[in-house]
Amino acid sequence: MTTERSVAELSDPQRRQAVGGEVIHLMLRMRPPWVFIDEIRRFTESFCACACPGANREAGMALAVHELMQNAITTSRGEDIDLVFEVEPRADRVSVSITNRCASEEFETLRDRIERMNREPDALAHYLEVMRETPSKDRGGLGLARVRFEAQLSLSAAWVGGRVTVRAEGRIRVPALHAIGGTHV
Amino acid sequence: MGDSVEGRGSTLRVAGEKFSAEVLSGLRGEPRVEFRGTISSSNPAEVLNPFVEAVHAQLVARRASEISVDFLDLEFCNSSGFKSFVFWLEQIRRLPEAQRYRLRFISSAGRRWQRVSLLALTSFGGENVTIETLSTSRPACPVRPWPAGGAQS
Repeated sequence: MTTERSVAELSDPQRRQAVGGEVIHLMLRMRPPWVFIDEIRRFTESFCACACPGANREAGMALAVHELMQNAITTSRGEDIDLVFEVEPRADRVSVSITNRCASEEFETLRDRIERMNREPDALAHYLEVMRETPSKDRGGLGLARVRFEAQLSLSAAWVGGRVTVRAEGRIRVPALHAIGGTHV
Repeated sequence: MGDSVEGRGSTLRVAGEKFSAEVLSGLRGEPRVEFRGTISSSNPAEVLNPFVEAVHAQLVARRASEISVDFLDLEFCNSSGFKSFVFWLEQIRRLPEAQRYRLRFISSAGRRWQRVSLLALTSFGGENVTIETLSTSRPACPVRPWPAGGAQS
């Protein structure tokens, strides 16, 4: 991390003061087997709760990390996966980027999927469309749409030197989501 | 722990590497499926979809109007596992309207991901989905298998 002291070492009032203005940057490089994906998610959730105190952003960011890591593990063929997590309180911005080895054909499929997603301005409408279209017995297909809607993040992808970087970014403070249909008791 | 679906005898249950689900009876004999653990494997639908099909068949055979889907002890569900609940709603939609039953999700207020994920499922499932959010732990309830008379073939 680039802060002088670990955020986790500070008391709550000190933590809020420290993170109030500085850019918080966390980078992890790993070669995780599938079994560690939950630990990565929990760590992200804990870290985000410290880095974005009071914003209730940690669950969404943890979900985004889990889904993007899950995709990365599938395509990385056992090679290194880099995770970069950034919080800019003054800019009200939070982001996570996952970089891993990726074949060009796989990147093109990913890019087309993200472009199609971004053509639909309504994140929920796209999410529901993907739910209807994706065969329920096939692995995957919902993750990116889930990150966009449930975590309220914008997604993009870039491919450089045989490695893809998928970036999910958005505001730290986001409005509550609302549903259509169904009953809440 | 290997993945397994058990449908013999009077109890429907499934177990994955880090999760389990079992159909039990509520206080009034109504069906309730409790999910526990974390659904995070690469393709949990391989195990969950057959479980959903088995539960669905029992609910239809018994003309159930509703089943509670208890998420209180479900720490997380990845999108691949989430698809099994989409699959479940698709099964319900294929029924004649008079036979359709509701999924009543019981979610934990302390697990924020459940609120937003179930919002999406509500939008997909419409009137076939109800969400109840509890801020406390699961109410005490004697553990009994469902269906009480055994699974119908």
